[in-house]
Amino acid sequence: MPREAEPSLNEKAFFLQALQDGHRLDGRKFEQFRQLDLQFGDQYGVADVTLGKTRVLAKVSAEVTVPYPDRPFDGIFTITTELSPMASPAFEVNRPTEQEVLLSRLLEKTVRRSNALDTESLCLIAGQKVWSIRVDLHVLSHDGNLMDASCLAVVAALRHFRKPDTSMEGETLTIYTPAEREPVPLSWLHTPLCITFSFYGDEGEMTLVDTTLLEEQLKVSSCTISLNKHGEICQVAKLGGTPVDAVSLVQCASIALQKVKELSTLLDQKLAEDSKRRNKGGLLAELSAENAR
Amino acid sequence: MPLDTSTYNLALLRVDGRRWNDLRRLHGQIRTQAAADGSSYLEMGNTKVMCVVTGPSESARRGGAGGGAGGPAASSSSSTATTPNGAEIAVTIVTGGFSTVDRKKRSRTDKRVQELQAGVAKALAGALHAHLYPRSTIAVSLHVLSQDGSLLACLVNASTLALVDAGVPMTDYLVACTAGSTSGHGAGDEGADPLLDLNGQEEQELPFLTLGTLGATDRVALLVCESRVQVGRLEGMMAVAADGCGHIRAALDRIVRDKGAQMVREGAIAKGESIGMDLD
Amino acid sequence: MASHDPEARLSHLQSADGSATFSHAGYTVVGAVNGPIEVQRRDELPEEAVVDVIVRPAAGVGGTRERHLESLLQSTLRQIILINNFPRTLIQVTLQVTVSPENEYVNAKLSQAATNLPILPTLIQTALLALLSAAIPLTATVTAAVLAIVADDGASTIIVDPTAREIQVSRSLHVFAFTSRDELLLNESEGEFTMQEWDNAFATAQRQCCPAPTSDDVDMEGGSQADLKNFTRSTLETKTASDLYWK
Repeated sequence: MPREAEPSLNEKAFFLQALQDGHRLDGRKFEQFRQLDLQFGDQYGVADVTLGKTRVLAKVSAEVTVPYPDRPFDGIFTITTELSPMASPAFEVNRPTEQEVLLSRLLEKTVRRSNALDTESLCLIAGQKVWSIRVDLHVLSHDGNLMDASCLAVVAALRHFRKPDTSMEGETLTIYTPAEREPVPLSWLHTPLCITFSFYGDEGEMTLVDTTLLEEQLKVSSCTISLNKHGEICQVAKLGGTPVDAVSLVQCASIALQKVKELSTLLDQKLAEDSKRRNKGGLLAELSAENAR
Repeated sequence: MPLDTSTYNLALLRVDGRRWNDLRRLHGQIRTQAAADGSSYLEMGNTKVMCVVTGPSESARRGGAGGGAGGPAASSSSSTATTPNGAEIAVTIVTGGFSTVDRKKRSRTDKRVQELQAGVAKALAGALHAHLYPRSTIAVSLHVLSQDGSLLACLVNASTLALVDAGVPMTDYLVACTAGSTSGHGAGDEGADPLLDLNGQEEQELPFLTLGTLGATDRVALLVCESRVQVGRLEGMMAVAADGCGHIRAALDRIVRDKGAQMVREGAIAKGESIGMDLD
Repeated sequence: MASHDPEARLSHLQSADGSATFSHAGYTVVGAVNGPIEVQRRDELPEEAVVDVIVRPAAGVGGTRERHLESLLQSTLRQIILINNFPRTLIQVTLQVTVSPENEYVNAKLSQAATNLPILPTLIQTALLALLSAAIPLTATVTAAVLAIVADDGASTIIVDPTAREIQVSRSLHVFAFTSRDELLLNESEGEFTMQEWDNAFATAQRQCCPAPTSDDVDMEGGSQADLKNFTRSTLETKTASDLYWK
């Protein structure tokens, strides 16, 4: 299996010297993200996030299934991540690397366990029929900071997604096709996003956000903080690495909050733009007015 | 499991009768397995963990050390962390099916277990002087016998003890401890108190984090939080946990010194010039 | 709705040796090629390169449908890649479906037992473009088309690049792939059809994929029907021109 190319000693020395002097290789500030682009597909529930040269695509799909017997009132919500050789030849099919496991755990904790999606609202008939919402995350290109890009893509795709409308009449459940009734959005409770900090230097005294692949390979430790714009932490993970001063971690948390606020604003804005684009001619408004009656 | 934590505000006593900054009973043994290079047994309250260290030994894997994290070894049951030009630290966690109330077997390929393994391995990699053992593997095998909260902290502490027993040089004791908060995640409840060393019941009810420090310093090697909590609570919880880590370090140090003194008494090792430290 | 004009982007992924995104007839596929790289010992061929194709669906995990497509693509690509040039190596083609057409009138099941032929031409085209982008030596380029035969009270009509709805009502479905030397490389047919119908479909597909070189200039009168062979050529020409352009 091919291994990921490692940075040479010269690259490392140059990078660290530049960092000491307060410069990053691409000229960004320490707390600056790369160019971020978020696009939605023609279909509902497809989000394509480009962060510098990192590109991640998330697709949401829904189907009706039987709930788990121990949770008859809850819908099923799964997030699957699989890194393919497309992102790097070092990834093999059906052999999850540690990076992949940590990424999927991060998304699980950030989006699923923080109850961002109200799973009870996915129940159709208790114990018999529920919606199963599935997010597939595809990493198309990996140039560092997969965590933040993936999390944004998953959250954006879920907020963009519309599931088919349903109605209950007595005992019969009707699921309408998109042609019959406009699909409805998921019941969404809050928007968690994550920010990853990477630490450099012997004492971990320098902190970068949104690292490129090269920067990521040279970090001494990193910390991923997930929170929403209301300042609720959903998850913090600093798994080992060089010990870092507690004070700088607390600082990271406040920077993360500020970044998450910016990202949420961007997401809200993009979603608004997209719905405006779809709503050409006010057709949707007409439909929803009809439904309201 | 609905647990009435509101009683805390009345008596300022927790469900098991502790105050906010009390640790649970900490009992540890070192050198429990004669055949292993290093071994330990640690109880933090009712969380009980056994650890066996093998190595540093020849690397089992072909292809050599020095690969970045996320190397090919992740496909096997253990998680590894490599240090630049140093030993590879391979951590395996086995959870007994009898360790919790609901006899649920967690397979070793469970992502949750793999994450725990990665966390312990990477934290140890930062604390050990692994560069002294290039091209070798230090295998840390952890067995969870009983779970009652603060599992990750207990795993870290047990591996530290076993590595001390194995004689692997490290900067300082790597110790970990949990801290929680009595507030809900949303409320701007000002009267919320931080709590130290949560048990299983409290972990289900309250937001908490696990903090690992290098010795009694404020230098954070490990920080894991899996519950919703206000960002403002973070600092307080971390401070309490760091304080707890200091106490745990002292406790671990006592265990090691007692064992050392006992071994000298029993004549297992001669009290020579090299043992200059105070073995009361 | 879905545009019938093909669109492509080349070499846009960071770490793959070659990559391409290709959209046609409602499908969008991202392809990446890594190679020649080290091959696992047990798969190694002493005198040829191993061609490994991975097809990943947009939603859900790959199943038998994807395995079937992979085996079809693998045997097709082995014919056009100069595998004898790279003994004991691996050429890995990863194809990620990102958009597939949705039927407005049906609520799609995730693991649909639907036919897997309509996506095949797009996959072949993407793989080809990605291989070209990775500069893997090929004997020929390949163009592919899908056709549906719809029975229209007695008379059967042939539809090129049918929509999801047309496929549903069609009697039979055919995929043809031709090399740039106008040789038939791949044919997959399903449904009920006569030999006569197959001949007609073959002729239509050949016209579609291999236009006579003389008709190059007047080809545009064919309307929206894209000429994929010229498309591949012009895409690469544009890409090469922009790569050689000194900024």
